[in-house]
This record gives sequence, C-alpha cells and structure tokens, in this order.
Amino acid sequence: MRRHGQFDACEDAVQEALLAATLQWPKTGAPGNPRSWLIAVASRRLVDEWRSQSARRRREETAIALELPVQEITAHDDTLTLLFLCCHPSLSVPSQLALTLRAVGGLTTAEIANAFLVPEATMAQRISRAKQSIKSAGMRFDLPPEPERAERLLVVLHVLYLIFNEGYTTSSGPSVHRTDLTAEAIRLTRLLLLLAPGEGEVAGLLALMLLTDARRAARTDADGSLIPLDEQRRDLWNAAQISEGVALLTRTLGKMPVGPYQLQAAIAAVHDEAPNAQATDWPQILALYEVLERVSPGPVVTLNRAVAVAMVHGPRAGLALLGTLDQDERMAHNHRLDAVRGHLLELAGEPVAARESYLRAARMTASLPEQRYLALRAARLN
Amino acid sequence: MKYMIMTFGSAEAGLAAMGREWMLEMIQFMRKLDDDLTKSGELVSNEGLADGSQAKTVRFQNGIAVSTDGPFAEAKESLVGYWIVDVENEKRAIEIASRIVAFVKAPIEVRRVMDAPPEF
Repeated sequence: MRRHGQFDACEDAVQEALLAATLQWPKTGAPGNPRSWLIAVASRRLVDEWRSQSARRRREETAIALELPVQEITAHDDTLTLLFLCCHPSLSVPSQLALTLRAVGGLTTAEIANAFLVPEATMAQRISRAKQSIKSAGMRFDLPPEPERAERLLVVLHVLYLIFNEGYTTSSGPSVHRTDLTAEAIRLTRLLLLLAPGEGEVAGLLALMLLTDARRAARTDADGSLIPLDEQRRDLWNAAQISEGVALLTRTLGKMPVGPYQLQAAIAAVHDEAPNAQATDWPQILALYEVLERVSPGPVVTLNRAVAVAMVHGPRAGLALLGTLDQDERMAHNHRLDAVRGHLLELAGEPVAARESYLRAARMTASLPEQRYLALRAARLN
Repeated sequence: MKYMIMTFGSAEAGLAAMGREWMLEMIQFMRKLDDDLTKSGELVSNEGLADGSQAKTVRFQNGIAVSTDGPFAEAKESLVGYWIVDVENEKRAIEIASRIVAFVKAPIEVRRVMDAPPEF
C-alpha cells in the first residue's frame, strides 16, 4: 500500500499472495522470511494486474520500475500508517470503525457486519465507500506530518474506544456484550502501544479497556440482565486483567502528560481495587473526576461527578449538581440523567420521585437490557 | 413464507403498570420464545423499538418536510416490536402469535411479507 498507493488493488494482491502461500508452502516449506515473500508475491501480482489491465507504455514502465528487490520493511511503521489512514478525520465515524476492523484488524466483512448487526451487503458498501473516499481525496500512505500527529492520534484512540464500547455496551440490539469487538479493540490498542510506546494516552486507553472489561463476567446475570457495580460479585472480576491495567497505569501516571483516558482508567482502577462496594474510595474517585472535568469538561463527566459527590457529601449534594444539567441541550435526549437522578433520589429516601425518574429513563433508552434494568428498579419501588 | 408478527402499545403504560414479578416473567418468556424460534430455524429477525415518546413523525407540508415529536399513530397503537419468521404456512405464524398474545394480552398483528414472483 505504501509502495503502490491503491487500497483495493493492494488488498486483492495480498489476498492472492496468501492464497499462493497456502498452495505453495505445504509443498515447498515456508520461506526463511515469510513476510518479505508475501510482499514480493503480492507486488508481482499487482504488477501482473496492471499489465493485463492496460497495455499503455507508461504503465508498463512503472511496472518494470516496481520490480525492485524486496527490502525488509518495518512492519511497525506500516501498521501505524495504516491505522492513521483508516481513522482519517475526513471519513465518517462508521466508516472509520469498519475500515479499521477490516484493514488493520483483518476481520472479514461478514464478521464486521455480524458485530454491528447489519446485513453484509450494507457493511461491504460502507467499507467500499470508505476506500473510495480515501482514493478520491488523494490521501497518501504516509505518516501524518509531526504538527498534526498528536491530533490525528486522538482520532485513532477515539475509534478504538468506540469499537470497544460498541462491544461492551452495545448501542442497539438485545444483548449487552459483543465480546468479539471488545477483544479486537483491546488487541488493536495493545498493538498501537507497541508502535507508540511513548504516548501516555495510548497506555491510558489500554488500561481503561482492561480495567473495564475485567468486570464483564459479573456485569450480567444468567438471564443477560444488567447488574450494577455495587451489586456485582467481585470474585468474578478478572484479576489478571485488573493487575495488568493497574501496572500499566502505574508506569504511565505522572510520567507522561495526563489525559482523559488515563484519568478514566484511574477511576476504573479505584473501583476495581476495592474488595467490596462499601470499601470504595469515593473521595479519591471524586478528586479524579474533578481533574477530569478540568482536562476534558462535558455534561457526561459532570453526571458521573454527581454520583461521586453524592457518595462523599450525600445524595442531596449530588442531586443539586445534577440540577445544573437540566437545561443542557446535550443531555435532553440522554436517559442517563434520569437514571442517575432516580438512583440518587432512592438514596435520599424519595421512592415516589425515584420511581418516576427511573420510568422516564426507561422510556428514553434505546437499549433493551437497560430498559429492563430501569423498569425493574422502578417496579422495586412500587 | 415469511410473516411479520407485530406488537403494539406504549412502553410508558406497560412499564408503569407492571410489577416486578411480571416483568421478570416477561423477560424469561421473550428469551425462551427467541430461543425456540432460533432453534426451529424459523426466526429471520426480531427487533424491539425504543418508546414512541422518543419518536419523530416527518410530514410533507406546504412543499417542505416538517418533523414533529411523537409517533404517527396514537401512543397506544404505536408499534413496539416485531418478529419476522419464515414458516411453513399461515397456520404456524398464527400459532406463534397466539403464544405471544396469551402472554402480553394485547392484540398482535400477523401480516404476510411480500415474496419474489414465483419461479414458474
């Protein structure tokens, strides 16, 4: 791709090279450097393809010029460049997600379609439109220049975060988790950390994913119904993932510029390290939310801080902070405001108002498991 | 042949009126139904829709498209969810709908999905 510049043609050529490998390697044995072999074969296929497509002299010359001896290519730089390309800011978010999973993750179109619960033909279109945009915008297979790189890295992190979230709290559909997407997001973020080991926010995002995903087994019951954090069986949490996440954070926090992923990971770590819900260090969580709100302010951060305020200073203080969000347009269609209000009203000993808030939230959510959870909370207060 | 089996109503009324036990039973019922239809190979797709209070209706008025809050139908007649099943015959589609209606006790609509033209 870096050498030849054509996304579609390169993908086809690589697939043919892989096919050739599966046919040839069992007979002849794998070559000493399989990667170089594959690139060499794919390049030859691409050249053949160009030759057969057109007899134009100029193309012939290009093709001949491309038949260079294969050098060792640094896999790391290419994967990183490919990630930047798939997460190009001019692509739509759904295209970024799909293309990243296809080109970097190596998932098939059918697998991606299945993960996002859309027909395969729809996903095939989404991916092909994304490739078309890359082509028509004349995007090049180069690392973004240094001044833009930090900003472009944030887009890559956001795409990986969305892939993880899509798997962890599915935005639609009947089941809560789609493990294949969370696993893939973690794998890709691990890969990115190898490529960019000096970036604190990459480590922060990986830690956040590990520390959140660690609770997966405890997050739903046998029926697939949601269990809130304070009622989860903590012995079901994945201890290995928690210690890996905490170790990552320990290596990162304070040594690199702090950012929102590191802070959210730190909050997840405080929850994960508490032996039971009562032992949760809420003052620590509140302090972290205060820093997070300064670093990356927004209504969802305020909403979460309100819970921490309620746990430290009592439900009334939390409700007062929630009140500041009532006029916020960005929260007007977000069911979480009423879900949290219901919870805090319940803590404040106001079951009637709590029930109303839960029911309002239940009507607003587009997630079936969440709707059931909220309706059950309301029914419990009857 | 394919049929769409549709349930109507408003989550608002349903969620507020029903007790915890009924809700838990409903969740079990729906899960079992989906399992059974998947195992029998009859389930094509099924979706539940977000509450009608969150819907928008778009109308063509005076030459422009205008959107207003709320569903097109009365809230109590608004579509809340559907199954598409591929079954042997209409009798079987009605049988499935009967199992649902016995539980939700609100009318269920069973409607044929249009087919491709016959081969010969």
